[in-house]
Amino acid sequence: MSELLIKNAVVCDPINNINCVKMDISIKDGKIVESVSSGAKVIDAGGKLTMAGGVDGHTHCAGKINVGRFMSPHDMRMTNVPGLSGKEAPTATTRAQVGYNTPNAFAIGYRYAKLGYTTIGEAAIPIIGARHTHEEFEAIPILDKFGLTLFGSNWQVMEYIRDDEPEKLAAYVAWGLKASRGYGIKIVNPGGGEAWGWGKNVSGLDDPVPNFDVTPAQIITALAETNEKLNLPHSIHLHCNNLGKPGNYETTIASMKLLENLKTSRDRQAMHVTHVQFNAYAGTSWRDFESGAPQVANYVNSADHLTFDLGQVIFGPAMTMTADGPVEYANSRMLHAKWSNMDVELEDASGVVPITYSPKMFVNAVQWAIGLELALLVDDPWKVMFTTDSPNGGSFVNYPEAYTYLMSAKRRTEVIEGLPEMALGRMNLPGIDRELDLYELAIMTRAMQSKIYSMDTKGHLGVGADADIAIYDLKPDSIDTTVEYAAVKKAFSSTAYTIKGGEVVVKDGEIAMTPEGRTYWVNAKVPQANTDAMQVDLAQKFKRYYTVNQANYMVEDAYLPHPVEITTEAL
Amino acid sequence: MAVITDAICSLCGSLCDDITVTVEDNVITDVERACILGRNKFVGMFLHDRIESPMIRKNGELVDVSYEEAIDEAAKILVNSKRTLSYGWCSTSCEAISKAIQLAEETGSLIDSTANVCHGPSALAVQEKGGPSATLGVVKNRADVMIFWGCNPAHAHPRHMRRYSSFSKGFFTQKGRKDRKMIVIDVRKTDTAKIADQYVEIDQGSDYLLVTALRSAINGHEDVIPDTVAGVSKEDILKLANTLKEAKFTCVFYGMGVTQSRSKYKNGDGVSSLISDLNQHSKAVMIGMRGHYNVTGYGQVSTWETGYPMAVDFTRGAPYYNPGETGANDVLTRGDVDAAIISAADAGAHFPQDSLKYLAKIPVIQIDPYANPTTELSDVVFPAAVVGVEAEGTAYRMDGISLRMKKLIDTKFKTDEEIVVDLINKVRELKRGA
Amino acid sequence: MQTVTLSLKEKNAVPIEADSVNTDNFASKPKDEIGAILVWYGNAQVAVDDLFDVVVDGFGSVDEMKIIINGDVSRVKRIGQGMSAGEIEINSNVDMHCGSNMTGGKITINGDADSWVGCEMKGGEIVVNGNGGYYVGGGYRGEACGMKGGKITVTGNVRDYLGEHMCGGEIVVKGNAGLLPGISNNGGSIIIEGNTTMPASEMMKGTIIIKGTVLDFLPSFTEDGTEDVDGVTYRKFAGDINAGGKGVLLIK
Ligand code: SF4
Ligand SMILES: [Zn+2]
Repeated sequence: MSELLIKNAVVCDPINNINCVKMDISIKDGKIVESVSSGAKVIDAGGKLTMAGGVDGHTHCAGKINVGRFMSPHDMRMTNVPGLSGKEAPTATTRAQVGYNTPNAFAIGYRYAKLGYTTIGEAAIPIIGARHTHEEFEAIPILDKFGLTLFGSNWQVMEYIRDDEPEKLAAYVAWGLKASRGYGIKIVNPGGGEAWGWGKNVSGLDDPVPNFDVTPAQIITALAETNEKLNLPHSIHLHCNNLGKPGNYETTIASMKLLENLKTSRDRQAMHVTHVQFNAYAGTSWRDFESGAPQVANYVNSADHLTFDLGQVIFGPAMTMTADGPVEYANSRMLHAKWSNMDVELEDASGVVPITYSPKMFVNAVQWAIGLELALLVDDPWKVMFTTDSPNGGSFVNYPEAYTYLMSAKRRTEVIEGLPEMALGRMNLPGIDRELDLYELAIMTRAMQSKIYSMDTKGHLGVGADADIAIYDLKPDSIDTTVEYAAVKKAFSSTAYTIKGGEVVVKDGEIAMTPEGRTYWVNAKVPQANTDAMQVDLAQKFKRYYTVNQANYMVEDAYLPHPVEITTEAL
Repeated sequence: MAVITDAICSLCGSLCDDITVTVEDNVITDVERACILGRNKFVGMFLHDRIESPMIRKNGELVDVSYEEAIDEAAKILVNSKRTLSYGWCSTSCEAISKAIQLAEETGSLIDSTANVCHGPSALAVQEKGGPSATLGVVKNRADVMIFWGCNPAHAHPRHMRRYSSFSKGFFTQKGRKDRKMIVIDVRKTDTAKIADQYVEIDQGSDYLLVTALRSAINGHEDVIPDTVAGVSKEDILKLANTLKEAKFTCVFYGMGVTQSRSKYKNGDGVSSLISDLNQHSKAVMIGMRGHYNVTGYGQVSTWETGYPMAVDFTRGAPYYNPGETGANDVLTRGDVDAAIISAADAGAHFPQDSLKYLAKIPVIQIDPYANPTTELSDVVFPAAVVGVEAEGTAYRMDGISLRMKKLIDTKFKTDEEIVVDLINKVRELKRGA
Repeated sequence: MQTVTLSLKEKNAVPIEADSVNTDNFASKPKDEIGAILVWYGNAQVAVDDLFDVVVDGFGSVDEMKIIINGDVSRVKRIGQGMSAGEIEINSNVDMHCGSNMTGGKITINGDADSWVGCEMKGGEIVVNGNGGYYVGGGYRGEACGMKGGKITVTGNVRDYLGEHMCGGEIVVKGNAGLLPGISNNGGSIIIEGNTTMPASEMMKGTIIIKGTVLDFLPSFTEDGTEDVDGVTYRKFAGDINAGGKGVLLIK
């Protein structure tokens, strides 16, 4: 029965249409309430900017990131962002911290909390590797977590699509979510993971997957229909085909168009397209490469069935990691970089390759601009989730730096001045003068996430919401964010307070306590008869092709000591 | 009588998960499907010397003491040490490993795993070139060519070939062994080599030369290859290169013959580059044949908790990693530590003489179910439950797939994890008092 | 001119990590301040004058600074790390990472240097009047570049992986080198006057000259005529072809 009263908070809470208004926030037992008793502990926010805890809906924080760590001991000593990277000795409250792009699990929790984030979503869980993901989730302190489960190159999925068995497909996806304790359907380079099993790739939406006689377009459509049949809180989460290739914006728009007429089961998007920066490339080769952001943004502006995230590039070292196995191999050959790969039996592929984005390199400079163009050319911020696809485009600790690009044309001009001449002709950013305000930033970093993941207790500060709150050392009524970007960056780099579940976890930029976070997962109910029918096929998969018995495959309860189970009923 | 199905064999890195165990009166009376090694672990533990009681060395003799006294003594050793080596932790659960890392962090120790004497160089190779790999099921379902390089699964991983590799049957390999070409590269004709389609005998310590020659052949530079390399004729090298280029899917399984022979980690580094080159022509991956059942898990846990897979030095607070400097045998042969805690591994049996001589000079704490040569060197000894038999927990297969080990029978012994937690608490208590 | 003489009072077993013992950190400081500088001794930090007798002579900036180290410092690591100018003279064998990351100045070691001497060095000079260990002029695990500039001379032998991932600078070894010297060389120049094994693997750029015998020459170089250096004619090889490298390897 702990009570907390935050006074004089200047609240920016788009879900509740509150645009930087001074008010008090009452907290009781970890939730936001109407009022508290006079005995409540008081925090005086003194007019500082107050938002709901941030939600990073697409980050690589558990599982594959360990491959990235494993191959980069030098990353552990990188101090590119002071206070949020490099090594720190343990203290009475905190464990030892290391790393920049691939920090250890403890540092992930502490550093997100310092940025005012309280919930993060792992972008890719292979079902057979899910136990590992959850072990790492448990090692990440403070934050609430959820993860998206990979289905886009899964044999059982592709067979059910080919054989036109939608009921069994839904039963399998429901089972796969349960087996992996996942939150939603992730599709990465649909069909490409299977093709990579033979060292190949699929070339586009209509290129059939070798041996399975289905196309990427069919995989996307069928899984989207399944998603709605299962009434899942999130839509499908799609990493499009042809990622990283000049000209791929056409594939991206074509993928988006596939679901224009999909009827959704909930009041949310029909699809979320991820890290679109990497999929908004025009041109036909790296020589005539240019931004395809305007084309994609135009389409997104005309459509109302989708949301997307940026995958913004940050200049400097980064670490690419994706279930898109063939892309990573191609990257490693092109960049002469180390290459880790993990093909996953019956399910998917993956790869990890380090990269450095240099402002002097024409291609990297254009990539940097494309992410920002997408954010600024799409009119409706509710369609845009801010991400760097951490650490693919850059480490999440650079978010405050990236905010300044979105909020200040002056800041952008400074960066653009350092870019190669050739790059300027291939981008549209210099002609864009839109500057996001704090309200729009709040939408892209927490509010829209509440909607697209149907998390009604996250991303806002209304009564009933989780008391996950960030108070930034910045006074909205006395700052011009378009000019004072250094102050903006500083404020967003370490909160005055981060409150998680009603407890002060960060105070004045220091970790104050480290409670364990919870893990959200979706238990999608389907008719038992469908599950039984599906299990007959699945049993064969385990008997013949998997190297793990079915009894040992599903993630046990022991790995989710603080679960939040979301139950859905199939329609 | 209880019959437990789908039990996991916690002996080698194959981590077979299809074992059926029969338990009568808290004794394992039958084991189905495990190989002889695994079977011995399940039923053999009652035949071995179990350590029965906590012990402390007094006047040169290990004598039974209470658990509390042993914890007290061990914590004192840790707190008084300038730099402790914590070693082993590969035949135990990930949960215990996590606590062992925390203990090392809180005591400013250096912590390393048995990888130091087996596949540690594989990690260094990954840090050079990456690890192009796959789960074992991918190999089972796809591989038409497999190379066993410097490893002998017929003895070290007896069910590996039937479950995952040579003899297994999969989706694209319905005919099993007939669908696959099996090649062994080694310095002597092992039992694995005897059942291979092709055996390539190389000179001791010449793995790097052969890798380089194969790469040159695959990359189209056969002109630079001399008549023999590594004791293998140019003709055979070109033939082998051709087999690999024409394969649909190749897996190179490599063992300590690669990682512990001359130029150690550079051999794995070279194989990694070979795999990358091969993918220009076909599909290829590599998988290390890890020995201890959870040495892979150690690497995983250590990596997400400290940033590094092994040889992590907390001496200066924040972790530091540099095998060659911070590996268990690096510090023991140089005499760089003044105390040691050894668990779930037998340093006494596997370390070089210099290291053992030094261990004999410093206080050593052992946590283990069994008395072994390490016990002879130890000053404080804790008996522990056998993880995977008497205690549950997580372990990682050699390909990085994690599985939950079951508790099959009850025990009076504490688990490694419980003992380490008690040590952490006692160390905190002593530090507060100080 | 300022000269500081440190004499180790008693030989240690657990290593001392003395990255704070360098010219930049000592320059223009009086004796008591130098004595109070902390080094790591195991998991505790102790003052320099707890471990060393400190004698300070004169006073000066880093350019005029000389540190002389006496006593058996074969278990003292990281001496001279990151120094930018001045001089250090070590009259003993010295432990790992001596002169690592240095950008200028000179270190003379009158004894053997343990592994990683001059690793990640960017400038300045190191002379080892004795043998070197592993990874002379090498890099840190996972990093793309080891030594980037400066010069290391070893009068005796060195062990394996000399100049690993070197991206610049110069190394001269008067004796023999162990396995795989110059591996992944990307712009450095190495001269080995004695014998070595499997040199220049995966070299991208740079030059490696071997005056002694090469054992296990790697089959990844193309022969490309001869080249004369200082009046000596060498067979010239280009490679490493598997790395697409354009390095030059000269052997007898
Ligand atoms: S192969 Fe290994 S894991 Fe499998 S039963 Fe034998 S010892 Fe146990
Ligand atoms: Zn991603």
